[in-house]
Amino acid sequence: MKFKVSNGPFVKSSNSTSKMMTRLLIALIPIICLSILKNTIIVYFYTDATLLESLHPIFMIILSIITSYVSELLYFKFILKYKIADCIHELSKSFSIIPGVLLSLVLPVSTPLWVIVFGAFFANIFGKMIYGGFGQNIFNPALIGYLFISASYSSLIGSHLNLYELDTLAGATPLTNLASLNYVGSYDEIVSGYGSLLNFFVGSIPGSLGEVSKMLIIFAFVYLTITKTIKYLIPIFYVGTVFVITYVVSLFTDMGIWYPIFHILSGGLLFGAVFMATDPVTSPITKFGQIFHGICLGVLTVSLRFFTSYPEGVMTSILFMNMFVPLCDKIGLSVKNNLKKVWIYILVIVIFISMTSYFIINKISYKEENKIPVNILETKKEGDKTIYNVSSKGWGLIKATVTVENGEIISIDITDKSGETQWSELEKNDYANKAIEYQDNIDSLDAVSGSTFSSDGIKNIIKKILESELNNEK
Amino acid sequence: MIKEIKLDGKKDISIVNDLVDFSNVSKVFVPLINCNILCKCLTKKGRKVKIGSVIGIREDIDFPILSPVSGVVLDIKKYQYLNGDLVDCVVISNDKTEKILKKNEVKDICNYSKEEFIDLLKKCSISGMGGGDFPTYLKYEGNNSILIVNAVECEPYLTSDAMICKLKSKEILDGIDAILKINKMDKCLIAYKKNNNVVKNSFLEYIESYDNIILTPVDDFYPAGWERNIIKSVLGYSYSKYPSEIGIVVNNVSTIYSIYKALKYKKGISKRIVTISGDGFSKPVNVLVKIGTNMSSIIKKIGSYEGDNLRFIAGGPMMGTSLPKDELIVSKNLGAVTIINNDEYEEVNKCISCGKCIDKCPVNICPALILKNIDDVLELKKLHPEKCIGCGICSYVCPSKLALRDAVKIARKKVK
Repeated sequence: MKFKVSNGPFVKSSNSTSKMMTRLLIALIPIICLSILKNTIIVYFYTDATLLESLHPIFMIILSIITSYVSELLYFKFILKYKIADCIHELSKSFSIIPGVLLSLVLPVSTPLWVIVFGAFFANIFGKMIYGGFGQNIFNPALIGYLFISASYSSLIGSHLNLYELDTLAGATPLTNLASLNYVGSYDEIVSGYGSLLNFFVGSIPGSLGEVSKMLIIFAFVYLTITKTIKYLIPIFYVGTVFVITYVVSLFTDMGIWYPIFHILSGGLLFGAVFMATDPVTSPITKFGQIFHGICLGVLTVSLRFFTSYPEGVMTSILFMNMFVPLCDKIGLSVKNNLKKVWIYILVIVIFISMTSYFIINKISYKEENKIPVNILETKKEGDKTIYNVSSKGWGLIKATVTVENGEIISIDITDKSGETQWSELEKNDYANKAIEYQDNIDSLDAVSGSTFSSDGIKNIIKKILESELNNEK
Repeated sequence: MIKEIKLDGKKDISIVNDLVDFSNVSKVFVPLINCNILCKCLTKKGRKVKIGSVIGIREDIDFPILSPVSGVVLDIKKYQYLNGDLVDCVVISNDKTEKILKKNEVKDICNYSKEEFIDLLKKCSISGMGGGDFPTYLKYEGNNSILIVNAVECEPYLTSDAMICKLKSKEILDGIDAILKINKMDKCLIAYKKNNNVVKNSFLEYIESYDNIILTPVDDFYPAGWERNIIKSVLGYSYSKYPSEIGIVVNNVSTIYSIYKALKYKKGISKRIVTISGDGFSKPVNVLVKIGTNMSSIIKKIGSYEGDNLRFIAGGPMMGTSLPKDELIVSKNLGAVTIINNDEYEEVNKCISCGKCIDKCPVNICPALILKNIDDVLELKKLHPEKCIGCGICSYVCPSKLALRDAVKIARKKVK
C-alpha cells in the first residue's frame, strides 16, 4: 500500500488566512452601515439633494471594490499571463478587495468617482501586485492609493463634509479647526463647535466615510482582538503614545483631560490604528517590534499634526513607518534573544516621547509669549512719568530710554546704537520721533528702506512699552 | 509562561479497546540505530542468537543493541525506520523458544548499588521509549533528587503509555520505588493529564502504599508532555539545557516499566505497546509487538484503511513523520502509528506575517522569519533554529498553512 507523503503536522488549526480576512470585512460592515446612514440616508431626507447626489458615498465604496478586483484580474491575465480559471483561483488567495474597501473609507466624502477608480487601481497594482502580490508588499496598498490621490488630485478630492453638514458646520473638520487655532484653545473653541466629545465618540462629526464613529471602531478592535485577527499591540501603543504626548502638552498649557481625548477621537487616528497599522503584511512580526512600531507611529503622528501644515498625519505616518518594519523586527528580535536589551529601547522611547512633548510645548508657548523681541531692563517712576530702560533686537541690539506720561510715549532716547550699520538712514528720517507720532497705530508706519531691521527694532520698542503700560493699568 | 495550544485528544477511540498480543511473529527486523546514530553490526548472516544477545553496538558510548528473539540471523538489509530513512536491520527468524539468558528472577529489586544499576541499564540497552531513544543510564549518572515520570502523552490519538499504566501500574510503582531507593532520590512525581482518568485510576489503586510517589495532574494542552513544560508545571522550575542540572530525571512511563523488567529479570525489553489509530483506520487499537516487527503485517490483521487521502504517520499527528509505505519497523521509541485521512488544508498561501507562530513557539524562536531568511545562513544563525524541538505548533497555527516546521528543520541543518 502506498501513501501520500506530506509535511507534518497532520492536524491543523481551523484558522486560515481567508477566515482572517473575512473577519476583517465583518468588522468593517457596521462602520460602512453607519457611514451610509450618516452620509446617504440623512442627506437624502434632510436636504434637497437629489437621489444620485446622496447615493454618492455608496457608489464610492462599490466602485472602489470593483476596481480593485478588476485591476488585479487584469494584472493576472495580461501581465502574468495566467489562464482565466487560474486568475480566479489566484484572486481568491489574493484578497484583492480589501485595499479597495479601506481606500474608499479613508477618502473624503465628496471625492469624484473617477478619482477613486484611479486610486484603487493604483493601490492594487502599484501598492501590491508589482511587489509580487499578496504577502510581498512593503507598503499598505490602500495607503499607496491614498497617497497617489492626495498627491495628484488634492484640488479635486473635495471636502470631508457631506451635503448635510455643509449647511450646519462652518467648513472645517475638527483637526483643521485645531490647526487654525495654533493647537491651543479652550474647550469651547476646539470642541464645542461640533457638539461635545460624545459626538466625536458616536460619530456625528464631519470626516471620511469610515473614520467618524470611534465607538464602532473600538467595537471592531475588540472583535478583531478576541478573534485574534489583528496585532492588537500596535493600536494600543499607537493610541497610547498619542494620548501620553498630548496629555503632557495639555498639562503644560493648562488644558484639561479633554484635550488628549479630543486628539484621539478626531481624524483618522483610531481607524488608521485599528485597520491600517495592523495590516499583517506591513507590520512587524515580533511582539516587541510591534510595541516599538506602535510607539513610533504615535510620536510621528503627533509630530505631523503639530509641526506641519497638514493636520491629519495618521496615514502619512503609517506609510512612513511601513519602511521601518524590518528595523522594528530586528529590534524585536534582539530583545527576544537578550531580554536585558529592552531597557535600551525603553530609554530610546522615553527620549522620543519627552523630546516630542518638549518641542510641541516649546512651539506653542513661544508663539504665545515672546512675540516682541524687546526686553525691559529697568522701570523708574518720576512723578507722573515712567522711565523705561529697554533693549530691542534690531540688526544688533538697540538700547534706549523711553519716557511715558499718562500712558503715552513722549520721548525715546537711543543710548546704544553701535550694532546698527545703517543707522544714518533712520536719523535722516527722524524715525524715532515718527514712531512716537504713530504710536497709536504703529503697524501702519513703514520701515525705512535699507534699514528694515533697525526700523523694526524701534517699532518693537513702542509696541512693547505700550503693551506693558496696558498691563500696568489693569 | 508556558505557551500552549489546545488539541482534541481523540484518545477514547483506541483506549476503550483491549490490548491485542501480536508478539508471536516469525521474523523480526532489528534496526541498528540509537538516538538517530547508526550502530555497528556485531553479528553475521547464519549466526544463531539468543534473546538478549548483543547484535549491534553504538560505538561512541558502547551502547548495545540486543536481540528481541532467539533464532538465526537471516540477513542484514535496509528497512524503513520511523524517521523515514532506510536503516540497516538485522533480520532474525524467531524459533519461539524464548530462552532468557539469566532466567533467575530477582526477589528484591531494590538490592542494587548505584553503579550496578547504571551498568545494568546500559547492558540491558534501556533507552527512552517516549520517542527520544536517549540511553537512560546517562540520565542517572549524576546526583539527582527528584524523578518525574512522564505519563502525559499530549499528542492526539496516542494511548500506548495510558495502556501500560492500565495494565502494569503495580510493576511501574515497584520500579519507581526501586529507582528511588537505589539512587537515594527524595521523591517521584507521576505527571499525567488531569482529564486522563485511565492513568489516574490505575495508579490510585496502589499508590497509597508508596510514601514518596505523588500523582501530579498537569493541564490538558499541547505540548504538556515536553520535558521542560512538565518540570515547569509540576515543580515550577526552569533550567538552561538538561534537567540533570537541577537534579531532576524525567523518564517516560514505558521506560520506567523497561527499567523494572531489567531490575527484575536482568534482561532488556523485547516487546512494546504500539497504538494504531487515526481517523483513517477502521479499528483503532493498542497492540503488543516485538521490537523489530514489520507493522504492515500487523495492520493487515487488525483492520483496513478508510479514506482517499491517507497519510501513514510514524508517531503522533503532531510530531510524527509521514511515510510513503506502511512497511515500518517497530523500534523501542515508536509509540504509535497514526493513519490520518486529510484532504483539507492542501492550499498553501503566502506568509502574511501574522506572527502567530512566534506567539505560540514554546522555545521562543521565529519560524516565519526563519522561512523568510532560509537562504541566508548568517541571518539564520541569529534566529537560532537549533533550539527547535519539532513540536509542530508553528505549522499547526499558521493560517496560511505553511510548512514552517520543515523550514526550521532545514535551517537547523544549514546552521550546523
